[in-house]
Amino acid sequence: MSEKPLIISSKSSLFQFRDLKAYKELFWMLAWRDFKVRYAQTTVGILWAFIQPILTIAILHVVFGKFVKVDTGNTPHMVFTACGMMAWTYFSFVMTNAGSSIISAQSMVKKIYFPRIIIPLSKALVGLIDMAITATILAGLMIYNQVSVSSNIVYLPLFLALLMITSLSIGILFSALSIRFRDIQYLIPFVVQLGLYITPTAYPSSVALNSLPQWATIIYYLNPMAVIVEGFRWSILGLAPPSIYSLISFAMIAILFAFSLYFFKKIDSKIADLV
Amino acid sequence: MSTAIEISSVSKHYTLGRNSDTLRETLSGIFSPKKANTSLFKALDNVSFNVERGESVGIIGKNGAGKSTLLKILSRISQPTEGEVKIFGKVSSLLEVGTGFHPELTGRENIFLNGSILGMSRIEIKLKLDQIIEFSGIEQFLDTPVKRYSSGMYVRLAFAVAAHLDPEILIVDEVLSVGDAEFQQKCMGKMNEVASGGRTILFVSHNMDAVKRLCPKAVWLKQGTVNAEGKSDDLVRAYLDEFSTISKFTKAADRTDRQGSGDLQLQDVQLLTEEDNKIVSGKPLRIRLQIKSNIIDPAKCLVTVGIRDADRRRIGTLSTRFEQKLLTLKGHSNVYFDIPKLTLAPGKYYMNVFIAHRTENDISDWIEDAATFEVSSSSFHSQHDEHIYTSDIVKFDFKSSVS
Repeated sequence: MSEKPLIISSKSSLFQFRDLKAYKELFWMLAWRDFKVRYAQTTVGILWAFIQPILTIAILHVVFGKFVKVDTGNTPHMVFTACGMMAWTYFSFVMTNAGSSIISAQSMVKKIYFPRIIIPLSKALVGLIDMAITATILAGLMIYNQVSVSSNIVYLPLFLALLMITSLSIGILFSALSIRFRDIQYLIPFVVQLGLYITPTAYPSSVALNSLPQWATIIYYLNPMAVIVEGFRWSILGLAPPSIYSLISFAMIAILFAFSLYFFKKIDSKIADLV
Repeated sequence: MSTAIEISSVSKHYTLGRNSDTLRETLSGIFSPKKANTSLFKALDNVSFNVERGESVGIIGKNGAGKSTLLKILSRISQPTEGEVKIFGKVSSLLEVGTGFHPELTGRENIFLNGSILGMSRIEIKLKLDQIIEFSGIEQFLDTPVKRYSSGMYVRLAFAVAAHLDPEILIVDEVLSVGDAEFQQKCMGKMNEVASGGRTILFVSHNMDAVKRLCPKAVWLKQGTVNAEGKSDDLVRAYLDEFSTISKFTKAADRTDRQGSGDLQLQDVQLLTEEDNKIVSGKPLRIRLQIKSNIIDPAKCLVTVGIRDADRRRIGTLSTRFEQKLLTLKGHSNVYFDIPKLTLAPGKYYMNVFIAHRTENDISDWIEDAATFEVSSSSFHSQHDEHIYTSDIVKFDFKSSVS
């Protein structure tokens, strides 16, 4: 009886921070479940996880490397693209899945309490598998093309962290917004589709920098993925370091992160009523 | 005794009608909440009551009385609009069984998933795994994806996990109404075990028998407020009585809550006794049913009268079927059932009337609680038995002897 009672009122949020620890295992379970059921009842199973990035890289290579012939210096274009795709695959997976996660879990959300945020959070874990697969493809291409790993690799964790934060921020924001506006569900694939082109995945950002007026460059870097993709290539392949404009991207990441958490907290206690 | 759940002036309002329809309107609404111009629905209106530690309390009430809303608030799914709830101790709530079950996962995998959703740790689930599997009775299908399960198997597995929760306070919605009769018995047994183990239980059900068996105390919700609170025996009876207020004063002919084709219709029920209007145990009773036939040809029919007690338990049935005969009815007719010696103990009773055309399956008219009557006293034996065994339902004609 010495313990503090649980208080449920209009003033206190339903979510309490101490629950995050108590529901740690559920976080792992949800991620494990997603992984388990992902390719259930498919014939080639986990092979799908390879087929998709391989085809995407191949097509981007044909279009940007062969047709457009963008200049990637000494680095083979395919390696260049695979490196960018490593970050992009993760981003698109986490944003798509986290963004729709609360709606997909609505039957659960209406029947039992647990910290809602762990639903989108768990997707960040599942996405690592896709990224690892793309990393394997990249490694294969690097070995084949005899490209060595840059010593900048020590900075990779930093960009990995930025990637996770960015993907989750947008995912969490979309998951919260979609509770109220189902429109978001239609917006997400659109963002993924357009994002791939406005992000320097298959071409170097210098191409964009050289052909855009300065004001447009600032807008270009409002896309937080621009600096992350460049950061990945800088740390893995030792290519051009992120430009000064990256500061805009960094600021954008910080704003997105703070805003998404703030917004999620705002709506958290109302999820079951609204969804 | 100390308090386990303290509910003080809890209200929950829902906005009816349209939500703010533009994104801009809503966004500004989220950041600067102001009262919108829409009508409010008070799902709960100033509800207060306490549940003591170790107590089992049933919550009864019609659909829409606020039972589910209350449970959602107590389970931290939905936030109250006003008021406060304090919960002392580890709480688990079961608003459904099998929450989060994934059809593609196997039974065993779902035990772990569902267990962790219910707040059990992995180690706890591992320790209880054998018990859970045994309780479910589906061990041979444990490594089959649950999408291949029958609905019965699914429910068994789901309940088995839930049954092994070990909280101090358990909040349960209508989850016992699942599975077949045998499994329901098993679930009920498990619930009784939990209740007698000193745990605090809050139990919502439409099954009044279950409420009475499990919970000594009850709270009756009506239109979002606490209508009454007290011993569940009394409350359940009062609740059921209120249900039948319509039928008590409505002549059978005017009843609309009836089923069947309407080929034949009950018009009125009368109980005829030797003494005026007084139904006495041990004396003859004549039941007169006025039935109207809406078909031109003479109708061959079966007539059945079911007698139930105040808790709507079946006491006995009078049916022309038992006599293996069909009655021929045309226009307005009276059907009589004569009971030479009434064996019902004093108390309140209800009658269901069922009329079938030709066969049992061709229902013409079926009215629940078509009439109510009160057996006021007994002349069965000497007067001595009457005041001692007041909860008896049946009187026996007997003689004792020694040899």
